[in-house]
Amino acid sequence: MGKIIAIHSYKGGTGKTSLAANLAATYARRGKKVCLMDLDFRAPSLHAIFNKQNLDYWLNDYLNGVCEIDKVLVDVTKDHGNGGKLVVALANPTTEAIRDMTAKDRKWEMKALGRLLSLRSSLLNGGGYDYIIFDTSPGLQYSSINAIVTADVALVVTSLDASDINGSRRMTTELYDLFEKKTGILINKVIAELLSSKEEEKKFNKYIKEVHSLPVLASIPCFCEVLRAAGNFIFSEERPEHPFTETIENLATKVEQF
Amino acid sequence: MSVYRKLDAKSNQLLDKIREHLEKLNEKIDVMIELQKHGQREIPENLPEALDVMTLLSLPDHLRKTAVTLCKLDKATADEIANQTKRARAVESGYLNQLVVMGYLKKERQGRKAYFYVDQEA
Repeated sequence: MGKIIAIHSYKGGTGKTSLAANLAATYARRGKKVCLMDLDFRAPSLHAIFNKQNLDYWLNDYLNGVCEIDKVLVDVTKDHGNGGKLVVALANPTTEAIRDMTAKDRKWEMKALGRLLSLRSSLLNGGGYDYIIFDTSPGLQYSSINAIVTADVALVVTSLDASDINGSRRMTTELYDLFEKKTGILINKVIAELLSSKEEEKKFNKYIKEVHSLPVLASIPCFCEVLRAAGNFIFSEERPEHPFTETIENLATKVEQF
Repeated sequence: MSVYRKLDAKSNQLLDKIREHLEKLNEKIDVMIELQKHGQREIPENLPEALDVMTLLSLPDHLRKTAVTLCKLDKATADEIANQTKRARAVESGYLNQLVVMGYLKKERQGRKAYFYVDQEA
């Protein structure tokens, strides 16, 4: 039985999309069948990473009930499979589509939740997928909460920015706890000095434990090389020897066993 | 012999009917208990439109657990919900009926079983 993983954060720009893509690619490298979905309908991003612009159907259409999920899935195994299978479901990046998605009412969101929940039977049970990874919109909003309710595991990405740390903590205690969701914290863009020695790392982990009662599944150092890649490619694919890739590998294993 | 067999089948049918009626009665009592507990006046006049995630968030913990579980199962009996939540069937039946009274769920009988579901078309 496969797993649905939702990657979320309180604030924007924490690295959700990059981590989602790298995690998906890592599982594919391990021979898994993976589906990566862009649920950030307000600011679609995955289409840029996978360089897909003019599709007949988007994830928006599936949630709108226009088509079934198989029409939406784009197979990128040829370029990103590395031994496994990777398909993506992309959010429509046109302004018109974004406006349409932001104007949805409660009833639509309820139906959308039903459509997301039924992915479990269509893709995990029916399609034999090992992982569905949701890349979500930051903050508290319908599409993200729908994704969290649907997922088996929620990963909250946070930077060390005080507003981000505080917001994430409030969000996890006031929202995630209510849905009794299995939740892990990913701390992204940690400045290198904080992890420079075993001692420093210990101090850092102690500090994080005081702030978050949830398990921290990864503390990912800030690498200039990753920033330099500017989201033009999936870093862990291009640079398998890089420490960033190693961190993602460890994270993938932890989430697998989580 | 065939007379006895016929009689047997008849009495079985009768027993089934009685059981079915008893269960219906049970559910009506469940609803009555819920109404008594919470006071009929508290039921909003404008029934809620949808069981969306924000509504789920506003529910008390015990009802949210039942509602989220039902969302996941799509359509289920109190038994199936109880299996997931590890709470007693009678407890889940009470909560489900309460959610029906609150207007969030619909209930449908199929033979002797009562199925609960989120009404997507309302």
